[in-house]
Amino acid sequence: MAADRDAAELERFLAERADHLLRTAVLLTGSREAGEDLLQTAVERLLRRWRRFDGDPESYLRRTLCNLAIDGYRRAGRWRQKERLLRTGLRQARDPVGEVDLRDALVRLLVQLSARQRAVLVLRYWEQLTDAEAAAVLGCAEGTVKSARSRGLTRLRELAGDWNDTAAMPGR
Amino acid sequence: MDTDVEDLLREGMERFTADLRAPAGLIGRAARRRRRRLALRSAAGAAVLAAGAVVLAAAGVPGAGHHSADATAYVVKRAVSALSAAGPGQIAQLTVTTTHGAIRGGQAVTTTAEEWSYGGQWRSVSYSSAGQPVYDQGVSTASGYTVVSYLTRTWAGQRASGVSSASASAPSGCAAAAAVVSSLLRYGLVPGFGVSAGARSATVATALRAAVSCGTLAVAGRQRVAGTGAIELTSRPDSPIAETVWVSPGTYLPVRVVIRLSGGQPVLQQAADITWLPPTAQNLARLTVPVPAGFRQVPLAQAVTPILQQTPGGLPKPTALCLAPADPVCKGSEQPFRLRAGAR
Repeated sequence: MAADRDAAELERFLAERADHLLRTAVLLTGSREAGEDLLQTAVERLLRRWRRFDGDPESYLRRTLCNLAIDGYRRAGRWRQKERLLRTGLRQARDPVGEVDLRDALVRLLVQLSARQRAVLVLRYWEQLTDAEAAAVLGCAEGTVKSARSRGLTRLRELAGDWNDTAAMPGR
Repeated sequence: MDTDVEDLLREGMERFTADLRAPAGLIGRAARRRRRRLALRSAAGAAVLAAGAVVLAAAGVPGAGHHSADATAYVVKRAVSALSAAGPGQIAQLTVTTTHGAIRGGQAVTTTAEEWSYGGQWRSVSYSSAGQPVYDQGVSTASGYTVVSYLTRTWAGQRASGVSSASASAPSGCAAAAAVVSSLLRYGLVPGFGVSAGARSATVATALRAAVSCGTLAVAGRQRVAGTGAIELTSRPDSPIAETVWVSPGTYLPVRVVIRLSGGQPVLQQAADITWLPPTAQNLARLTVPVPAGFRQVPLAQAVTPILQQTPGGLPKPTALCLAPADPVCKGSEQPFRLRAGAR
């Protein structure tokens, strides 16, 4: 049965790449729970068109993750709900024990950027894409990516500065 | 500064995600979520709410917490409805694995059988542990009971009297339903077992429908069965028989049944994987017991005795089987399989 073969092919692909895609999703959303939810939704969309799918599944899933994180997820209100939880978690992390260093803090601070800025930074620094490739994934101009990246990094520096003023930062 | 932040961000992303592993079953869950969306879209009003509650509970979605009575009621209702339609419309094909524990010096014995049930007909082919057919038996309203023994290369037949398809009805009461489900799955155990007026008149579909609808099962979650995330219904602690039924989330027809009888010794467990076939000529032909060329016709007891001698537990030797309530041999017997017992 062709449908079974297709499903098996998708299973094999996910067996190899699902971990990496989950990490992308977690970085886009800021939490494991939200990342799994996001990846699940993206896989569901791929599954819907899998029989007729003719392309690179990883590219499709990456693009879907970003689009969902920027648009659908935010529109559904689920993201805001999770964001509040993440902000709470961040405050809890900034305790005097200071176990979270700046590298961890920067990742956690990603949730305070706009969804598009966050997606651009994840594509550039986690997926190691160029600005042009990131623009293709997000369906926007390369200049938009450059601008979002620059503003995102600036905002991260500001947030990290605030964080640096109020918390111990081992390794700095 | 930019370079510092970029490098730190890269390292932070690596560290933050290093231990993450994707959960298994992404595709299965995606398929379930898709079906759920489609169901919600196609249903209306209260039906939509009911379906959502069921799937959320059955799928173990975080936050659902427990499998509610509403979820059970919904699944049972859908399963009963599906089985009602399947009874006259589809052939139930079962692959039954029977594990008979703690016999013959503690050695468990496992046998397998292929079974078919449709209307007033059923057929069961039992296989040895080496996969060779041991015997093939079947009942139909037209030809009565036929058994073929591959051990002795013999066959026997007994015509039924007064059998009519109108006698096919669902058993009443939960204990009766459980007994019938059990006996239906035990066709493959010994020749004649389960060939009683009560059991014979119930197809797999009607027996399962009775068992599912009698209120002893509750939704226990989801499990992957036959390539699908089947809804698991398991018996409540006070039910007369320990059984678990997995129904397809698409058709709500049972795809697997497991029954465990542990009240006495030895423990008996049976697992039946069920496929529902359309009644095409080719599929209907599976309900007929073929007599291989060269096999000799013998009296019933002679065909069955060598098989019974290899059967755990030792059962009375049948000389005649109860195939219909009108048969004289059926009167005055309360045995689950009614037969006129001869010498043991």
